[in-house]
Amino acid sequence: MKYAFFPGCMIQVRYPQMEAAVRKTVPDLGVELVDLPDLGCCPDPVFFKSLHKLDWLTLAARNLVIAERAGLDFVTICSGCTETLAEGAHLLNEDEELRARVNKRLAAIDMKYEGTVHARHLITILRDEVGLDGVAATVKRPLEGVRIAVHYGCHLLKPRDVMQVDDPDHPTIFEDMLTALGATPVDHTERIICCGKSCRDCDLPEQMTRTVLESIHAAKVDIMGVICPSCFDSFDTGQLKLARKYKLGFTIPPVYYFQLLAVAQGLSAEAVGLDKHKIKPEKLLAGAAG
Amino acid sequence: MGDQPVKINHAFRDELGLVLEGDGVNYCYQCGACVGDCPTARFSEDFNPRQIMLAVLYGMEDEVVGPDSKVWQCSNCFTCFDRCPQDVKPIEVIIALKNLMGERGIVPKGVDRLVDGLLQTGRSAKVTTATHRRRKELGLPPLPELDLDPMKKLLEAAEAEKGKT
Repeated sequence: MKYAFFPGCMIQVRYPQMEAAVRKTVPDLGVELVDLPDLGCCPDPVFFKSLHKLDWLTLAARNLVIAERAGLDFVTICSGCTETLAEGAHLLNEDEELRARVNKRLAAIDMKYEGTVHARHLITILRDEVGLDGVAATVKRPLEGVRIAVHYGCHLLKPRDVMQVDDPDHPTIFEDMLTALGATPVDHTERIICCGKSCRDCDLPEQMTRTVLESIHAAKVDIMGVICPSCFDSFDTGQLKLARKYKLGFTIPPVYYFQLLAVAQGLSAEAVGLDKHKIKPEKLLAGAAG
Repeated sequence: MGDQPVKINHAFRDELGLVLEGDGVNYCYQCGACVGDCPTARFSEDFNPRQIMLAVLYGMEDEVVGPDSKVWQCSNCFTCFDRCPQDVKPIEVIIALKNLMGERGIVPKGVDRLVDGLLQTGRSAKVTTATHRRRKELGLPPLPELDLDPMKKLLEAAEAEKGKT
């Protein structure tokens, strides 16, 4: 299984521990990630798209063409990048006039979008190509007894028909992949609400993040599982700020799915940067798992 | 609006229709399916996607793209996109409204800085010395150098196109 790797800015620059977790776990899964030159920002599906939508689509198309020319599909590890590249491809594939308009721009750099490339999040490759049993077979140190509540975030799943990942109202992909690691997924009431990071002009990010945290706290877990670096930002640095401001009296360590996979595969918590998180997952650092 | 007949500002709706997917609002029949699971509507008294769509249908320009517009409260979660039976894609209409606000120079604090950073560096996150140090500690390859030339050429092509219309 060979894919063009799209690590994305936020992970490469701010949370490289997520990239490390991916690069260190995929070989055992039989997934090969090919690094292609000159991939720019996906670009950002929230702020850049909100100021320059057609330019957003144009730059996304350029990235898509880079994979297309390599004859590979993209694998993404950030929900935002997945959103931009999948939605970008969808818009270009559905609307011939729009595709012609964007291709006219791409002609300035001798590129043409053909529509033969897909962008998929790595977690879907694990479910659909490697399979649950295939993932479980790479586990050397099962996360037995580790209770994990999932925060899905928005952009992995929605819009449903564009992303084609899971039912956004009743998703199971994350919990299924946790079960493959031997961990115990735990339900909570605010499993699919937004972390609020993109809201501007108001205190909504705090309210939404706090709502998720209180829901997860009530579920009595060791860890909250995340799949998106922006959500991680809300729940790591953001959680510390909230805990101080509102005197929450608890903290819940957020951990990216592929860091959990890494620990289950037998890598040290330090090898995937878990010791550098603001809120440290003591249960994994202590080596208590398994 | 009182008892007076409503005068629709078509010029504004036409302007919005020029932004990609800004014209989806024309199919809105005000059912309110976009509201129930909207996280921003849940936490904010000022934000209701159905009311924003109605204001757009009337062409109430000041309300939706003026300095007091509430569209930047949107969480960008895409729930309304999935709920809408008319394929209005309220989130995309809201994004189109934000594009018009940008053209009018009304941008929330911090957003222009993020976007400028992306245009100058090709990346949406700021590279620091810690970035390089942490990548090395984790055994990762150095951060790839980006050739900004193709991106610049594409944005120049975009500007030239805007000049023609």
